[in-house]
Parts: sequence; structure tokens; C-alpha cells
Amino acid sequence: MKNLVNEEEISEVAKLMKIDLADHNDHIKRVQKMLEYFDILDNAGVESEEITVQETDLDKLRDDKYNPYDKNLLKFLKSYQGKYVKAPKLN
Amino acid sequence: MTKIGLEIHCQLTKLESKLFCSCKADYREFEPNTNICPVCMGIPGSLPLLNKSAVEKATLIAMALDCKTPGKIAFFRKNYFYPDLPKNFQITQLNAYGNTSIGWEGRILVEDKQIKIRRIQLEEDPGRLIYEGATEKTKLTLVDYNRAGTPLVEIVTDPDFETPHQVREFLNILSDLLENLNVSDPGLEGAMRADANVSIEGGSKVEIKNIGSFHDLEKAVHFEITRQHSLAERKIEIIQETRHWDDRRKITVSARTKEEEAEYRYHLEADIPWVRINDNTKNQLRAQMPESISSKKERYISKYDITPQVAGILASDRYFSELFEKANNETNAKDVANMITTDIMGLLDTREKREISKLEAGHLSDLAECVKSNKITRASAKLALDEIIKNGKPLSQIIEVLDLGHLSDESTLSDIISQVLNEEVKAAEDAKQNPETVNFLVGKVMQKTHGKADPELTLTLLKKNLDIE
Amino acid sequence: MDLGISALSYVNSIKNAEFTVEEFISKSLERINQVDEKLHAFLRVNDLVIKNAREIDTKIKSNQNVGKCYGMPISVKDNICIEGSKTTCASKVLENFVAPYTSTVISKLNSEDAIIIGKTNLDEFAMGFSTEFSAYGPSRNPWNTDYVPGGSSGGSGVSVSANECIASLGSDTGGSIRNPASFCSVVGLKPTYGLVSRYGLVSYANSIEQIGPLTKTVEDSAFLLNIISGIDSNDNTTVDNKNQDYLNNIDAGISGKKIGIVTEMTNSEGLSTDVLNATNDAVKTFEKLGANCEQVSLQMIPYTVAAYYTITSTEAGSNLARYDNIRYGYEFDSSGFEFNSYISQARSKLGPEVIRRMILGGFVPSAGHAGKYFLKALKVKSKLIAEINHVFEKFDFLISSTVPIQPFKFGEKIQDPVSLMMVDFNTVTANLTGIPAISVPYKITNGLPIGIQIMANCLEEHSLLQAAYALEKTVDLPKVPV
Repeated sequence: MKNLVNEEEISEVAKLMKIDLADHNDHIKRVQKMLEYFDILDNAGVESEEITVQETDLDKLRDDKYNPYDKNLLKFLKSYQGKYVKAPKLN
Repeated sequence: MTKIGLEIHCQLTKLESKLFCSCKADYREFEPNTNICPVCMGIPGSLPLLNKSAVEKATLIAMALDCKTPGKIAFFRKNYFYPDLPKNFQITQLNAYGNTSIGWEGRILVEDKQIKIRRIQLEEDPGRLIYEGATEKTKLTLVDYNRAGTPLVEIVTDPDFETPHQVREFLNILSDLLENLNVSDPGLEGAMRADANVSIEGGSKVEIKNIGSFHDLEKAVHFEITRQHSLAERKIEIIQETRHWDDRRKITVSARTKEEEAEYRYHLEADIPWVRINDNTKNQLRAQMPESISSKKERYISKYDITPQVAGILASDRYFSELFEKANNETNAKDVANMITTDIMGLLDTREKREISKLEAGHLSDLAECVKSNKITRASAKLALDEIIKNGKPLSQIIEVLDLGHLSDESTLSDIISQVLNEEVKAAEDAKQNPETVNFLVGKVMQKTHGKADPELTLTLLKKNLDIE
Repeated sequence: MDLGISALSYVNSIKNAEFTVEEFISKSLERINQVDEKLHAFLRVNDLVIKNAREIDTKIKSNQNVGKCYGMPISVKDNICIEGSKTTCASKVLENFVAPYTSTVISKLNSEDAIIIGKTNLDEFAMGFSTEFSAYGPSRNPWNTDYVPGGSSGGSGVSVSANECIASLGSDTGGSIRNPASFCSVVGLKPTYGLVSRYGLVSYANSIEQIGPLTKTVEDSAFLLNIISGIDSNDNTTVDNKNQDYLNNIDAGISGKKIGIVTEMTNSEGLSTDVLNATNDAVKTFEKLGANCEQVSLQMIPYTVAAYYTITSTEAGSNLARYDNIRYGYEFDSSGFEFNSYISQARSKLGPEVIRRMILGGFVPSAGHAGKYFLKALKVKSKLIAEINHVFEKFDFLISSTVPIQPFKFGEKIQDPVSLMMVDFNTVTANLTGIPAISVPYKITNGLPIGIQIMANCLEEHSLLQAAYALEKTVDLPKVPV
């Protein structure tokens, strides 16, 4: 049984990712095809595999020192009001 | 049975810099948006640089709460969109792919009840939202990112609490512990915040968010238990929901819009490799760990013969226990301890007062010595303390300036006693009938001499004068 | 003056005063003016370069210390930040984004007196391998402008191939350096993960991507790697380059080395006959040079493309979340909007391919689907690493074609997402495992290039470059027709 995503699911995900979808159909078909292809992962037989990741030592981390940023980053930002960054209202 | 679980967010305020960049960890003194850099603002191409001391301090907390600590820690991204999150994800920890948050499965005793610590994780604080005008009519949200990236430790307990009182006790113990570890100053505004989940018998779990202070946490939990009980009595179903603590009205209110179902798409933060914390490092940290409050208390009791109550008060406060340890020379320990708990704690009851105080441990040992050798009275000692805190001058000078020397001249004292007896005829009669009330007259003499009268001599003279034993 | 010279010959010519930096830079700008309207390698050309060139000429004349690059013009993919200049990632959402800081690789190049001549085109946010997904229009292949130049560092490949500059820096997440290198007939190196700092590279899939050079010769790649590699205190994932000189003994040859021919990459479904023939030919060449070649199979390879797209979509979904147009971005007034509706509209300006990756990136790591997709992909990656480690116990190098096919025509692949994904089949393994890989120009067939990919174990760039150099020396390719 193919685990195809339907239109509704894709709309939900688009909402989660904060994207207004203009051309639904084209996206849905392409995303479905890609996901269908991803099913190949089921055949890899890797269920018992452990996940390995790059490691480092505690000593290599940054020392706790205050070092102020030397530029006025606020001035560089797009929209601000007084000393604050402006964002649209919440709900 | 009522079940209460807590999620405590504690800023590591004793750190110099933020969790992933070199901006200041204590953002409080800054103008809005001046304690920011490309990293904490999530400017494209910037990368997080993990603060070594943050890992160490968080590990100390985990150890102090009897947690298991991992051989390596990993960071994860918790993805959600919110204007206070510059990257629209929070770098935090998760117990996945083996245990990789900074601590898990710990415990702490609260009034002889064991509270289990589910996990401890190191994460970044978001920025702060400022709502313009009244919430209803708000046209926009203003954001100050100074706080974004401040190191936080989240401590999650099992739902082991049964009463708001236990919650309060736990918070007291926890604040003392964090202060004692020198990782956080729980007194700083916003340094400690909490969410709670509350359920009563037969009801669903309700989450309370947004509780800005520990004081309110107890109230919020109390309010929520009462609310749930009153629903249960009226046979109204308690639904699983998130409620916000309304700081102004001191009630919990249902989060108006149903929050989007949490879908955080957790995945590893690859910009930070897994950090190995080997046994050697752990042992070094353990060795650095300050004495725990309970063992300090035990030591005070057994070594100095101080009452458990006084020892407990002293041990649980980092500032006063340090003062005590420096000022006592074993022979005067009891006096120093009493002086701290009865006088100094009242005089230096806020951080601001402590910060400007000129009191040194040396003052305290001198003072204890003078009281012991009867140079000044306990009452004068308190006056002297007041003055020392203000100007920090040597005790001998202060005694002179304030004229605090003992009044032990018999004829002067006799004159004053005669005056008092003339003024307090009724009390004098009472004392003759009931010698135990003579202390009232001693007090009057003290008042007249501004506390300088030698108390023993006063008592002897009074008794002689009233002809009582 | 030959604009087609290598970086090393450029340095010699400047040292021998055959021409000045200003002369070379002016000629390069002329060349860009002539050809770039058609090729569209550049999104922006730096107009301060003549001034920079004069400054370096003055240093040279007055015998001051001059950096190793002697003013050579280098182009940079437009997802690498330079303070005070635009970094758009070929996206409309970053149309007006001016970087407030300089990436580590650019600082290093600057301190060696390189001249950054301009920012090159790419597929939006580096997602793609044809530059057809650039929001500012595609680049064109200088070998035949009806064909794609490869990508995502397509503009970089074109700029080097068409002699608009000496070398370029690109980024490689799943082949984005090697693919355009192969399609444009230049050398492209993806270093070991962590060997080059990513500070200042706009993240797409940060667990596997690297910055690397696209150059005219293998030696030039070694020359640039000498400059840009090493530990960076601004990137926790960087590793030590041990101060290696990658140019040292680059002509050591590969006699006696063991080379594995990756079976899965020589019999894959989409492999073109011409490319297969070229690969077989390269194997023979290596044997002639004294290497021992034999087939080697890696069981995880058939799953790598699916794993790659799953992991990259997940990370892209997170890395691109910050483009909500609130702190930086393009002009779009937020008044009257509610937060979610504003950012959803603002983010719709992302291109269609990026939007599809966002949707995949929202889907495959979500609570309900992570077990089926994301976690499996991570496990494929882990098992592949184990396999690679095992293979490199026996072999010194692995080889394959860089891309299973030759450059394709515009619009030819874009309609079928699965065949589009398969273009990455040979390149993603190096990204998933972190190993270094290089594409060496090997053949021109039907007027279009074919590159051969050589892979080595982690941090084995030195011997990898020796092998690539040996192969390069056996070929003599025609000049680019533009």
C-alpha cells in the first residue's frame, strides 16, 4: 500500500511551513512523486542501524567571554520602530 | 489524587556570554536590540558557537540534582515560527539517539518526599515581545532580541507534587541550590520561570504557561486545583488544555485560540558536533562542586553546635554562609551565627543592600568578640552593625563615635534606675509581686541608655532596689 | 594576454611582470562584458576591482609583501557572504539582503590579495543542478548555450570555464561544485566535511555541505585549498588541515594505488553510454598509470538519493525558516497583517523548487512520518559511512563518472522530479559520508564535457589531488568555444 500524501495533507504541511501555495496541483504531483520514490528507503534494511554524528571535545568549545558586537545591527535590519524590531501583530 | 509536575526555566545568569555567541548573558542593562550579533540574530551564514562554561554549569546542576549525565551531549532544533525566535527554531536538547540531554533521571527530597527529575536540558532563551497598547487593539508587535540566546537550563520534574505547598518548598530548595552552585541568581527578574501541569483525580492534565515568578507559581497551581475541583463537583468535564496565568487578575485563563498542534520537526543541530564529556571532566566538575546545602548544614551543627534551625538558614544562603565561614574562628561561631540570622539578615534582606554593604567578615568577628567580653551589649552591636554596613569603618572607631561603650558605672546606673522606678510605679509593684516581670523594667532602663546599660548589672541593681530575689 | 591561464601561471606572469594586475583585471572585465550577457554566470560584478588591482600593483612595485593570489580575479557563488554587499542566494526573498559580515573563506582570500570580481549565479538557495531554479534566470553552458551548465554552482562553473575569471568558490551539498565542474569542463573539489569553514555560507543542508574551489587545473584547486582550509573559531565543525601543502608532490603519480570502481555507479539505470565509455576509458588510463582497479560494491548506494533528499529537505525546512521577511528581506509592508498570514505571504516569494523542498521538509521529519523517512535516511547515511570506512581499508580511491549524464537542454529534465533527482546519483555519496571528492575534466563528446569523479577517505585531499593530477595530465581537451 503506497503511502501517498493527499492534497489535504500537503495543504496542512504548507501551512505548517508558512507558505501560501499558489499552484497547488503542480506541487502536489511533484511532491507525491518524490515521496513515492522515497519509499525505496523501506528496502534498505537499516532499522537496527545506530545513528553516527560528528563529535568534538569539551575543551574545543568557545570560552565564556563577553565580546560585544562592534556594529549597530539594528540599523542594518529591515524594519524597526524606535529601538525595536517591528513584527506583525499576533492573532 | 492531585498530581503536579513542573518545568522550570532557569537562566544561567552567572555566565558572561550567551549560549552560542559572545553577546552578554545578562541582557538586563542594555538598551533594546543593542546586545545582539549576527549569530543570535540568525543572520544568514552565521553559525552557533557553543559556550563551554554553559555546558559545565548545566552539568553541575544535573549532578547536584542526582541526575545521570551522558558521555556526550547533542543539540536539536525545535522548529516553530514566532517573532521572538530569530531563526524560527530554538536550539535545545532532546533525549533521542541515546540519552544526550545534559542530565536525566535525577531526584530531590522535598519535605521527605522524593521528587523525580525527568530531564535537564540546555537551551537558548528567545527574545522578548512588547505588545503595543492594549492586546485587543494591537496593530503590531515590537521585538527586543537582547535576550535571544541567553543560556537556559530547563528542569522537568515528574508529576510527583501533591500540594502547592510542596511546589513552594521545592522552588525554595531549588533556588538555594542554584545559588549555592554559583550558576544562577534566582532573584534577578525573569531569571526563573515556570510552567506547571496540574491534574486532579479523574481529570485531564492541564498545562499552565507563562508564570513569571516562583511566587505566582504557587498561586497559579493553587488556583488551578481549586478551579478543577469546582468543575468536578459540578460534574463538568476537565478538558486537556493549555491555560495562561493572568498575572494581573491572578487567575488561569484558557489559551483563547486552540494552539496549533505541536509539530516541532525535531532534528539534530549539525552546526554543533556532539560534545564528549568524559569521566575525567565529570570528576573535575564534581571536585569543583561546592558543598551541598544539606552537608553544609550538617557540618555547622556538628562542628559548631549551632541549632539545626540556624544552621539550616545559614547553609541555604550562599552570601550569609560565606560571611559566616569567614567571620567565625570556632570559639565565636555560635555568636556569629546568631548575629547573622537575627540582625544582619534583616538589615541586608535584598541584593541591592548586599551589593552596597560595607560589612566585612572582620567586622563581624570583632563584634562577636566585643559582645562576648562585655565591651558592648547585643543591642549596641545592632546599632554598630547599622553603621558598619553604611560606612565600613573599623568597629573600634564606630564604638567611639556612637558612644556605644557599656554603661557599667554603678552610681550612674542607679540614678537611671531610680528615674525609671519613679515613672513606672505600677510595673515596679508588679515586679515585687511577680519577679519574672522585672524584665520589663530592664527594657525601660535599656531604652533610656540607648541600649548601653550592662544588662546583668542593671538586673542586679533593680532587684536590689525592689528588694526581690 | 591569455585569460585562460591557470592560477599558478597567473602568479608567475605577475611575478615576471608580463602584465600588471590592473591589465589582467581590466581584460577580465572586458571579457565579462562581452560574454556574460549570453552566459549569465554573474549576478553582480564588483565595480571596485580596478581600484583593488591598482592597490595590489602598487604593493608589487614597491616590493611590499603581497599575498599568494597576486590580485587574481576570483568569482564567488552568491550564497557566500561579503560584508557590505548583496548576498541573494539567487532568491527573491533575499533580493535586498546585504551581509553585515564577511565569511571566513573570503577573509582568507582577501588576506592573500585575491580580487573578488563578482558573485555568481546558482539555483535558488543551492537547490538544483542546472541553475534553472535561479530566480534571476539560468546561466548557460559555454560549450553549447542551449545546454545547462550544471549546478547549483552553475555560475561559478561557467565563469571559470568561459575565462571570465581565474577560479571560483562554490558550495557542494550533493554535487553542486562537481556537477557544474563536470558540465563545464573545469576542476571542482568538494573537500572533507569540516576542512573548510562554513562561516558565512548561507546554510541549505548544513550537516553535509562544504565550500570548495572550481578551477582550471587540479593544481589550482590544491593552491586554493591551501588558502581556504583549516580550523576556524567561528565554525565548531571545522577540522585541522595540519598545515598540509596540498601542492607539495602533487605529481607523485598513482603507481601501485588501489582504485575501486563503484559498481552501482557504473550500472545505474540513468547512466548514458557515452558517459559509461568515458568512465571505462578513465579506468584504463589509471591502469596504464600503474594503479590497480577493481569493481567494488556499496550496498547502500541505491538508497543514497532518497536519503539525501530526505535529509536535505529536513534541514532546508529548518535553515530557510528564518526567511520570514521580518528582520531582513524584501520590501513588503506588514501593516494590517497578522503574523502568520504575513510571513506565509512573504515566504510565497520563494521559488517553486524551494517551496517543494519546504513541503517535503515539513513532511518527512514530522512526528507521524519521521520513522518512515527521516530516521531511515539518517540510518542509511550511518550505514553508508560504515561501508565507506570499510572500503577504504582496502582501496585508496573510488572512481565513477561525476554525473551519470552529459549536460542536458534547458527544460529537458525540469518536468520530471525523479529523473531530476537521479542526476545527483554519483555525487551525493561524498556528501552523506563527508569524504572529499573531485571532478576532473576528461572528455568532450558531442561537443559537451564529461568529468570523472575521484573520491578518497576523509582528510585524504593530498593523495586525492595527486590522483586527480595524474589523470588530468593524460588528457588534452579542446578550448572552450565561447
